Amino acid sequence: MISVNGTLVSEGAGGVYGERMIGKYRVWDPYRSKFAALWYLDSSIDLPPGSVVLYLGAANGTTVSHVADYAEVVYAVEFAPHPMHDLLMVAKMRKNIVPIYGNATQPQRYAPFLETVDLVYQDVAQPNQATIAIRHLPFLRSGGRLILMLKTRSVDIRKSPEEVFTDTCMALEEAGLSMVKVVWPLPHHVDHAAIVCDLV
Amino acid sequence: MYWYGSGINVSVDPTEVAARLREAKIDMTIYVPCDWKHAQQLGLVRNRQEYLQAIRQATTYIAEEGITAASREKDVELLQMIRTLDEMDKAINLLTERLIDWYISITPSFSRKYRRSETGASRLLPMIGKMEKDPMKKIAMEILSMSTTRTDLMKEVSRKAVVVIPNMSALVGGLVAARLVSRVGGLAVVAKMPGSSIQVIGAEGALFSHIRTGTPSPKHGIMFQHRRVHNAPREIRGAVARALAAKLAIAARLDYYRGEIDPVFVDAANVRIDGLMGMKTREKK
Repeated sequence: MISVNGTLVSEGAGGVYGERMIGKYRVWDPYRSKFAALWYLDSSIDLPPGSVVLYLGAANGTTVSHVADYAEVVYAVEFAPHPMHDLLMVAKMRKNIVPIYGNATQPQRYAPFLETVDLVYQDVAQPNQATIAIRHLPFLRSGGRLILMLKTRSVDIRKSPEEVFTDTCMALEEAGLSMVKVVWPLPHHVDHAAIVCDLV
Repeated sequence: MYWYGSGINVSVDPTEVAARLREAKIDMTIYVPCDWKHAQQLGLVRNRQEYLQAIRQATTYIAEEGITAASREKDVELLQMIRTLDEMDKAINLLTERLIDWYISITPSFSRKYRRSETGASRLLPMIGKMEKDPMKKIAMEILSMSTTRTDLMKEVSRKAVVVIPNMSALVGGLVAARLVSRVGGLAVVAKMPGSSIQVIGAEGALFSHIRTGTPSPKHGIMFQHRRVHNAPREIRGAVARALAAKLAIAARLDYYRGEIDPVFVDAANVRIDGLMGMKTREKK
């Protein structure tokens, strides 16, 4: 990924959400994007050129726009009508975003659109985040990567973030994923865990 | 089956793709992802770029359709109206308080007792409005006119709630019913909630502190605004709230799935809740 003097940036047309520019580069703010926060803690996280990405929980398309600057195609899934509207606006300006209006708990509804991807990036506020990730494994190429931004508070508020995290990791490993690394993206995002794993 | 179809029924036309998607039954256990080269072989697209352009057109069309349908849900406008109403209330109170402080600061003889009471404000605003002091006078008039608009909006919310959520409105009144729905984001959500959750809508802070640290559980959230809950004697308020919440859960489902008032249900529910109040208070004596 590209950085300018230690600041993570991406290359593309600016003005998507009022982001700061450094020359021709768009600053990727770790406080607004967990993907960026992850990079600040571990710069080995990469989006190689030509990647095909499946992005679950695309929301307003802020992070999606940056991912699209790096990737070949981003299939961006979002189910709430309001954020979807913003996402469509972002997708108008970026020809490599495929905006999918769908619920990540029901991949069969939009499966006819998806091709095999190199990376599944998931950032959804749902209780069953591990199940959602596992249901999307048929789209991931072997050797492909899953980055799960686990919102522990959405899973079970009564359990501690660590407990939720352990349960999730176990479920992912059972499904045939191997853990690469885990990052708690502090201080930018509280009670989140970034789980990076590969499909073997 | 892929978005561009299968067999002889293939096309990339957005309306046809949308129709195809609605009919599709996908078995994820035997699913194989799309391959754009397949679409190329079928002669639907010439290259990767065209493939992406076509798929984007189709998904954008479907998304726009979906968003339009969502905004046509009958409760969408009601939610915006009740939120506007509540925010107007906040704005009016803030401005009134500020204006009175301002007035007091230049009128030392003025009794501070007026300050917090609402009757004080309602008497003070017209008084300031009659003053010759220009910006202050104008602001007072603005607040008064905003209050009138607010009252109109409130009536409109009640009217609309009776149409959109008739059964819930019959139990707790249009305003409280609309606030409950607005807080969770839609009638579809309330209709799937258990009564115990409806009971504590709006008391999330107290609920999570109860779950986390074991403080006493909240008895009621937004429902407290309804007279039968806040007028109930303290010792049976929880029981009334629980019974009412259970009936609200049924009412929400009637409203969502049937969409019309069920007088038999409403009467029975009201009898049950009012009866509870009579019974419990007698027990005490």
